[in-house]
Amino acid sequence: MSTVLKLSNVEVDFEINGVVVNSPLRGINLEIKAGKTLGIVGETGCGKTLTATAIMGLLPSSAVQRGVVEFGNHGAVSSGDMAAIRGSEITMIFQNPAAAFNPIFTIEAQLRMVAQRRNIAKDEIDSTLIHRLESVGLKDSQRVLASYPHQLSGGMLQRCMIAMALISTPMLLIADEPTTALDATIGAQVLALISSLQKREGFAMLFISHDVSAVAKVSDDIAVVYAGRIVETGPTREVMNSPQHPYTRGLLGAIPSAQKARGTLVAIAGNVPSVLTSVVGCAFAERCPLRIESCSQEPPIVQINNQSVSCWRAGQ
Amino acid sequence: MSEIVMQISNVSKVFPSRDSKKGFTAVDSISIDLHKGEVLGVVGESGSGKSTLARCAFGITAPTSGSVTILGQDMAGKSRRATRSLRSNLGFVFQDPAGSINPRMSVQRAIAEPLLLAGQSSDEIDKRVNFLMDRVGLASSQLSRKSHELSGGQCQRVAIARALATNPKIVLLDEPTSSLDLSVQAQILNLLEELRRDFDLTYFLISHNLDVVSHLSDRVAVMRDGVFVEVGKTSDVVNAPAHPFTRELIRAYSGVEKLESDMPADFDLDRWQDGPLNRWAFQNVSQFLPVATIGGSKSPVNLPQSIDPTIDFVKVEVEGKTYSVPELLEDIDTDAIVVLHKGSIVYEKYFNAMTPTSLHLLQSVSKSILGALYAILAERGVVDISKPIAHYLPELVSSVYEHATIAQALDMTVAIDFSEDYLDPNSEMARLDRAAGWRSNSTGRDLALRGFLKTLRANGEHGKVYQYCSANTDVLAWLISEVTGIQYQDLVSQEIWQPMGAAIDASVTLDSEGLSVGNGGISSTARDLALFGQLILDGGRAQGVQIIPQHWVDETFAGASTDVISADYLQALHPGGSYKNKWWITASSSREIFGVGIYGQYVWVDPTTQCVIAKFSSLPIPVDSLHSRKHMALFRAICSANIPT
Repeated sequence: MSTVLKLSNVEVDFEINGVVVNSPLRGINLEIKAGKTLGIVGETGCGKTLTATAIMGLLPSSAVQRGVVEFGNHGAVSSGDMAAIRGSEITMIFQNPAAAFNPIFTIEAQLRMVAQRRNIAKDEIDSTLIHRLESVGLKDSQRVLASYPHQLSGGMLQRCMIAMALISTPMLLIADEPTTALDATIGAQVLALISSLQKREGFAMLFISHDVSAVAKVSDDIAVVYAGRIVETGPTREVMNSPQHPYTRGLLGAIPSAQKARGTLVAIAGNVPSVLTSVVGCAFAERCPLRIESCSQEPPIVQINNQSVSCWRAGQ
Repeated sequence: MSEIVMQISNVSKVFPSRDSKKGFTAVDSISIDLHKGEVLGVVGESGSGKSTLARCAFGITAPTSGSVTILGQDMAGKSRRATRSLRSNLGFVFQDPAGSINPRMSVQRAIAEPLLLAGQSSDEIDKRVNFLMDRVGLASSQLSRKSHELSGGQCQRVAIARALATNPKIVLLDEPTSSLDLSVQAQILNLLEELRRDFDLTYFLISHNLDVVSHLSDRVAVMRDGVFVEVGKTSDVVNAPAHPFTRELIRAYSGVEKLESDMPADFDLDRWQDGPLNRWAFQNVSQFLPVATIGGSKSPVNLPQSIDPTIDFVKVEVEGKTYSVPELLEDIDTDAIVVLHKGSIVYEKYFNAMTPTSLHLLQSVSKSILGALYAILAERGVVDISKPIAHYLPELVSSVYEHATIAQALDMTVAIDFSEDYLDPNSEMARLDRAAGWRSNSTGRDLALRGFLKTLRANGEHGKVYQYCSANTDVLAWLISEVTGIQYQDLVSQEIWQPMGAAIDASVTLDSEGLSVGNGGISSTARDLALFGQLILDGGRAQGVQIIPQHWVDETFAGASTDVISADYLQALHPGGSYKNKWWITASSSREIFGVGIYGQYVWVDPTTQCVIAKFSSLPIPVDSLHSRKHMALFRAICSANIPT
């Protein structure tokens, strides 16, 4: 199976008001195969969206990006090269669909703009738009096209955004928290829609969310991110069933449910560190119940079955 | 059970609304008691009314009607001053911790505020604040901080400390962890449980997050559109949800396993109706075709069960071969069967990944539902079925439907140039499938149903000869939504599916213009289809209401007049049978009627034995007379097994 996206040692630094912030994103290695989904899961500020922004070549000018991003047949691409790929071969959907659409244009005008930019023949645009809306389960395509964003519900708008992202039949779809702003039942429908569209159309997907269960539901592989580092990655089922990194274990143990006795959730002490604090060694060490002396040094990447774990104590 | 600390009786809250004179009812006559030391969790989606309910219960907003009693005292009609001491028994924790703390106040001041209002001395206050800080896990070094210097979790700890300052008995937790990261949420949930135990608190917890609610609560109330659709012990609600919305919510939250879209790798839009692809496709139409929802009832009928284990041993004889019921069910590729006797489930089996809540394509049984819908609307005078179809759809002038009447389309006596050959890719039936989106279409024509229907031509005099033609149903689905201005799926929902008490939303596939595929596009559960059969058996009545006119049901049972029963293929399958109002009527003495769809879909109604059978299959080929005979033999054997009772 061919690789669609490969990141090797991608790092990002920022310079804010003359102060250099070292590596809010550090040593990111990941790979997505054709038609497969990689899920990135992590808490606020761990660098999930920053990773997507770096892939898209959309970092602000204050950022310095290192490492290699390879995409499809293009090989290594710079953020400048990305301009031609972005929006056609790689497209993106976001958390807040209401903010992603321009409130003063109809859905039709906005989808049409995308179709025109993608060089779809004039006489095929109408049928493409209708087909796209229907493929995302919007039955009443004429009404949806004529609507302004505020006239549609959040779930419908999110479907429109998915339709828009698929107009150019991309190789890779980046979905950044696509269900976070939706009610749970609507979010579940959107997840099911994304899964079946992927099966039908074969695009690869980078799915980003803080919601472990949403990520697990759509991803073939999972990367758990903490403080700008991937701490554990592997096939979804294996990571969920036998998490190896103490942070992954803590995160899964923290999910409340009726089956867990009250007051006994795994509560990782402390807080997610701010991106502004520079960390030496393992970033999780400060909160880790298994901490040892060597944790003050950069942890090795340990392979356990199909999982890669960045931890001194992995496998012990 | 322990003492009641809060009693909510018939509380309603109506907000004025621009759209309606009656206003918007956010909370609709809710009654519930809170017992000392319990956690009551209210779960619901945005706009369900849960926060409004809590605001009414805790005296923040006055309810429009109903009463709230706290520790035995009524809150209604009293001034703020009069209820001050009563309100000191209440504590509040809200979603946005930073927003609920005055940014100019220190942590010390924020926690002390309610104590100052209560008039305590500064010595007492300092002692109390230090005690609370310790209990919520904050260091005293943080007392001088302001909210922007704290993390979200720390802010929420301050908010909890403040809520507990006056030693309240009942604490409102309104989305207490919704803006926190998962690992911090776990800290706060553990803390809340610890405090509840130590201080004997009662919690009124509100959240959209079922995981949070079910983890922390003794009882769960599921709220939707201002009412509790389900209330019960947490374990009962989570493990045996009764209401469809609760089930949907649980599905949305369940599991950390990858959703497998189990679409077969060789799925093909031109072959999905045939076996073996239809074994998957008939249960998963919404995964490859656009569908609209046919909403079920908010108060679904719970079919009583009295399973008859002897049915498995009933012998069925078909063409010299004897089968047991399970053998025959397997032989005809059954996906589901539900048998009702006098309205109770006596037999129910599911195969091939089918469940009581999964939907299955009805194929042409959909037509029988349309027949009933027309009966209802014609009775009300919405349409006149003696009128030509083009009377209502002028764009069909010059097509076959210029002169053919609605009644003729309902009885399949339209003389139409149409081949109903399911296997010929050039037949009109195949063109209809392309127009409906049920086949791939590279012909450049028949892009949608309306355009296709305009092209159909007459080939004789209408009303004389029976001719089964699926397009006649699609034109009627189009007509009725045009006349009423209501989408077909919504008509089926409001006129039949809701009033009869369907438990699960059904669906109908849509063509590329969003028109419902009336001829065969409905998917429903087997139970709800059985419920529809029961409605017919009961003369059109359900839940004490006449839904379908009784005279229409009687006419349907009476069948078509004998002069239209021609010697076509119908007679080979159903000797002596006829077709009326989109139902088939057998010629046997027991006068069964049934709806049938290709590949083995049936609803069978037998007035003699008071039995209804809903059955789904995924047979490899669309129509076959041996299959039909097997079905009839099976149904009659099962029905007659019920005669003794």
